[in-house]
Amino acid sequence: MSSEPISEHVTVPPDFRGSRRLVGKEEWFWYLLAAVSYILLGIWHKWLLNWFVGPVWLVAIVVIGPWITDRIGITGRRSGGER
Amino acid sequence: MSWAAHQFEVYAVQAHLPKKMKGKVSFWAIFLGDFTPDFLSKFWVYGFTINGTRYGSDVPHQWHRGFPGMGFTHTLFFGAIVTLLIWSWKKNRAFTVGYILGYAAHALTDINDSVGVMLLFPLLTLNFTSETWAYAATIDGGKYLDAAAYYSSLGLAMDVFWLIVVLFSWRVLTREHWRTEIVPPDARIWAWFGRWLPERGLLALYRATFFYGLCRMISWSAWARLFADPDKYGEFDVTSRGFPMDLSWTGPYWLDARSLDHVNPWIAYPAALTLLGLLYVVLIRLWEPMGRKEAEHRKSQASRRIDA
Repeated sequence: MSSEPISEHVTVPPDFRGSRRLVGKEEWFWYLLAAVSYILLGIWHKWLLNWFVGPVWLVAIVVIGPWITDRIGITGRRSGGER
Repeated sequence: MSWAAHQFEVYAVQAHLPKKMKGKVSFWAIFLGDFTPDFLSKFWVYGFTINGTRYGSDVPHQWHRGFPGMGFTHTLFFGAIVTLLIWSWKKNRAFTVGYILGYAAHALTDINDSVGVMLLFPLLTLNFTSETWAYAATIDGGKYLDAAAYYSSLGLAMDVFWLIVVLFSWRVLTREHWRTEIVPPDARIWAWFGRWLPERGLLALYRATFFYGLCRMISWSAWARLFADPDKYGEFDVTSRGFPMDLSWTGPYWLDARSLDHVNPWIAYPAALTLLGLLYVVLIRLWEPMGRKEAEHRKSQASRRIDA
């Protein structure tokens, strides 16, 4: 694994809530993670494949994922104003 | 019926709005309009089972697209009535125009399966269908057989077609497009979501319908091709594991396509394109008058508030 953080958030200003924005490779990473996990789970658990769970799945991973990796330090320092 | 096509077409409509409507039509209205026909009719198509008793339609395709039945939910006539109600209630041009565009996209896409839709309802209760692939919702097979048939036929090609249309307009999925063209017409709705979600969540929410369409297309296709056990869903002329792909017209061959009384299939596309053209002309003509009416309505509402 590269020693460089996958986050590029240091140069990107925080959003209206003080949360950091996802850009570049990190954004692709979270979207791909959401897609691959949803597709694989969906093959064996069809009840997941509906118009409610699908969008919630993506939003949850994109919102909660970076928050967790920030907390445990994988994606570098946390944005000070994040709520 | 169509599957992920209905998710992709929301973005395709957004990407191909007439120039004067760009950045002024509600994304959520297109989504809602596209969602309404199946929301009103589909729950009873597959049905559900409680304590061993099945509740649902005895003839799913008749219920879904026919008359008598809920077929009127897939007609431009019903879409226009709901649109008029929305307009008379809110006088919101962005939402009204978005809603009918989404509704029309759904109704017109559904002419492609073997049942089709009643395009000229209530003048004519015959269905318009191009019979491109088999409508396969049945009592025994339910959603699983329906998905297997759709993703083993030209239905998959339809999903891929709409996916390509969106990918050719990939800018519609960018943050820039979202900020400049999607948020302004629905500012209040995004502000409401913004009370709970950061910007990355709002952007994901905007992209979520595309994400869901893409994932369900891949997931169901993989299941139908590689993992499904056809014997569980009926007796088919299939020997291997997984349902065979068949890209022939009105395929797949291993299933009896459901059908209702319909016009000559050659008429379906010309009729659908004519209606789409008419809708386009009507919306272009009404765009400015609707804008003036909305401005008047807002002005009178504002003065009423001041008086109060």
